[in-house]
Amino acid sequence: MMGKIIAVHSYKGGTGKTLLSINLSAALAERGKNVCLFDLDFRAPSLSMLLRVDKAEHYLNDYLNNTSDIHKVLVDLSDRVGKKGKFFVALANPGTEAIRDMSAKDRKWEMRALARLLALRTPLLNDSGFDYLVFDTSPGLQYSSINAIVSADLVLVATTFDRSDVDGTRRMLRELYDLFEKKTEVVLNKVLEVSSKTSKEDIRTKLKDIYQVPLLGIVPCFCDILKAEGGTIFPQEKPDHPFTRILNEMADKIDGLP
Amino acid sequence: MATPEALSKKPLHVLEKIRENLEKLNDKMEVMIELQKHGKKDTLQPIPDAPLDVMTLLGMPDHLRKTAMSVCRMGRATAAEIADQTKRARAVESAYLNQLVIMGYLKKERTGRKAYFYVERENQGGP
Repeated sequence: MMGKIIAVHSYKGGTGKTLLSINLSAALAERGKNVCLFDLDFRAPSLSMLLRVDKAEHYLNDYLNNTSDIHKVLVDLSDRVGKKGKFFVALANPGTEAIRDMSAKDRKWEMRALARLLALRTPLLNDSGFDYLVFDTSPGLQYSSINAIVSADLVLVATTFDRSDVDGTRRMLRELYDLFEKKTEVVLNKVLEVSSKTSKEDIRTKLKDIYQVPLLGIVPCFCDILKAEGGTIFPQEKPDHPFTRILNEMADKIDGLP
Repeated sequence: MATPEALSKKPLHVLEKIRENLEKLNDKMEVMIELQKHGKKDTLQPIPDAPLDVMTLLGMPDHLRKTAMSVCRMGRATAAEIADQTKRARAVESAYLNQLVIMGYLKKERTGRKAYFYVERENQGGP
């Protein structure tokens, strides 16, 4: 089966996109899938810091600028996830000058960037045998995120019950994903009180009502996640944590999608 | 006296030229029909070499966005190949594609019998 591109997006910041991107990628790699995680948040790059990679010589910025081949950008972190599947990352340049440079690009450049993202399919999914490319994006409606969404086969929307987030997410589903005819799944994050089965069902019904798209998973608010400060790869480091169990369920669902 | 081959060659050449011109005329007519169907609202002002970026895609009417997205994904394609992707009729796609050419978003190139549509990304290289 041909591999897939998954974009992880949200309306507001702080909904858990990066946490989800890292840990879902790791959960998929633990299943023996070959995964490459992309940091497409050029305004606020975070993967290099969170995954403590300081040896990157080439960044995704260089690939999109057409000054580097994609294979030079990829960093092999397979040893971090138990070596069942490949786990690579492509980093955004965290330097201030690079961030400034990326936010000053014009429409022509963004158009070519879209073509460069679309062109990842053949070398990575066909030739290098990756099963999943996971795009971690910037929140809201901006070029780099929409380019990522257009290039993806599946969009995961991280959302919370925060009122402004719910409203914005709903609008984004109708006015962005629908227009591009994207297959979309919602992940509800930071949920309080999901202890009982009935409350979980209530949330499911409520969400289906609000968003009209399938729900991939519900992630309760865990203090351990906050304590981990974003750097923990749960499926590898905390295999018995309830968050890992939820991640595994989500990874199974993703893997079962047509 | 001319050989039979020479005789048959010339009319063939003329016929080929006529067919080519008819095809061009057909393309133009398809565009005009489409323009009438959708009113003038999607014609906008043709912009020479307008970039086909995602914001532009978002602002397009649905029927054109579908076509434009397919060209973006495929890079370079004929109307028949696009129709295959969008599950719409070839003639319809041909009309939309030609409309996108007029609007300045796509370029068109004839190679023999086939017309290819693509997004112009000049100086593909440098930032």
